Amino acid sequence: MSETGGVPEIVPEFVLPPPTGAYRRLNPTTKLLIALAEALIAFGVRGWSGPVVVLAIVLASGARAGVGARLVPFLLATIPLVASILLVNTFLYPGATDRIFVLGPLAPTWTGLVFAGQATLRVIAFAMSAAVLGLTTGPDELVADLERRGMGRRTAFVLSATVRSVPRVLERVREITEAQRARGLDTEGRIWRRVRGLVPLAGPLLFGALTDVEEQTMALEARGFSAPARRAVIRTFPDSTPQRALRLLLAAGTPLVLLVSVIGMLGFLP
Amino acid sequence: MTSLATESLVFVYPDGTRALDGVSLQIGGGEAVGIIGQNGSGKSTLIRHFNGLLRATEGRVLLDGQNVNERHVAELARIVAVTFQNPDRQIFAGRIGSEVAFGPRNLGVRGTDLEQRVEEALKAVDLGPRGAANPYDLGFSQRKLLALASVIAMETPVVILDEPTTGQDARGLERVRSIVRRLVGAGRTVVVTSHDMRFVAETMERVVVLRDGQVILDGPPEEVFAADRWPLLGTTHVEAPWAAQEGARLGLGSTPTEASLFTALQAWGGQV
Repeated sequence: MSETGGVPEIVPEFVLPPPTGAYRRLNPTTKLLIALAEALIAFGVRGWSGPVVVLAIVLASGARAGVGARLVPFLLATIPLVASILLVNTFLYPGATDRIFVLGPLAPTWTGLVFAGQATLRVIAFAMSAAVLGLTTGPDELVADLERRGMGRRTAFVLSATVRSVPRVLERVREITEAQRARGLDTEGRIWRRVRGLVPLAGPLLFGALTDVEEQTMALEARGFSAPARRAVIRTFPDSTPQRALRLLLAAGTPLVLLVSVIGMLGFLP
Repeated sequence: MTSLATESLVFVYPDGTRALDGVSLQIGGGEAVGIIGQNGSGKSTLIRHFNGLLRATEGRVLLDGQNVNERHVAELARIVAVTFQNPDRQIFAGRIGSEVAFGPRNLGVRGTDLEQRVEEALKAVDLGPRGAANPYDLGFSQRKLLALASVIAMETPVVILDEPTTGQDARGLERVRSIVRRLVGAGRTVVVTSHDMRFVAETMERVVVLRDGQVILDGPPEEVFAADRWPLLGTTHVEAPWAAQEGARLGLGSTPTEASLFTALQAWGGQV
């Protein structure tokens, strides 16, 4: 196994070009552990510090990986959730009495606003962390690396098939919608018509998915998926001693940080 | 009878693929037109414009002289019915009869009229006695015929069939052929895309050949499959049907159908 190279050992470079940029070149498992640690710390460390630090690290990683601009759609996608968090907590925080102002039945509180602000930052930090992982690591790469590290081939297949099925399902939804609209199904009219229209869309989607699974399973078995021999690894990813040390640090350090936070030893932080 | 037309139709997919590149066609009411061409030549993209599922990037699509862009898909479904390549993308009902009734019901057909349409459509595809069965108890070729029945029952003046011959055995092919002929006989405009050149030559009265989103040939089968057109057909990976090839080999002229080959052979025998 190569210590520094970014090139798969068996699949040649012209088939799978190596990733570019320092962050992208990190081992997929390293990036997964970074994302997990960021998510746990963003949600687990009390106060502002956890989410703020994580958000700063995530944004720096995103910029370093050259995906800064591509994080914007993910940020926008959090708006509905963030808006509901802000509204519910600011106006309806249970037991809070420190009102900011009173306007008829509306009485937002400082306690609610602070809680909502922290929760918002946690959600955004988590979303950005997942986005950086998704934008810099192909699902196939991650699954292949985890499989090489000993994850069962069935688990690996389920993970990889699930991720890969998303674009296929979206394409199928488009085709089914077209087929039913061609037979006069109104998918653009009043809301009750649209709800009624879900049945003719869901049926072929579900059946198609089940058929796909059955056919894929048979095709896999026909090609020796359950054979007792250990599968050959055709893709390997760069790894290094510093990365192994980082993973160890993250695996041991993250639970420790969470524990320290829970027992209140990080009370000095804002 | 309803006519179809496209005027300099251009369609560009969001990824930048120019699937149609200036297609101009006039399809008269009651005409039977086969659209052929290699995969990716724009056949399916073209037919999706006739019922408004895709909207022109440039140019116009006209239905009896009216721009389809101004009309809703559900409204166009009263005039243009389309079957798609894969029947499993549309079948959802638990009973064959309910599946066939879906389209007409969407158009507001009720009561005995609906029952009659369903019965006739199922009879046309030879599924008459199986109305109460589950569609997924049928084989693939029969599910394709069921999808065909479900649009026949809509009784639209225009019927478009995307690859109806795929997966059909000889009996199924003959069934599709007789349905197309019956529809045309009833004055309905029929447009069919297919890779089966024998079916196209034997069934359609006009053939349109697409390549890279452009019409490269348009005419009756005798013209399109004539030997001097083969090099052009080859550029879109289309081969003339067997009868045309045999007719040319024997020096009998353009004989795209087995009937025309037989007639030419008889005439040749008479001369000898």
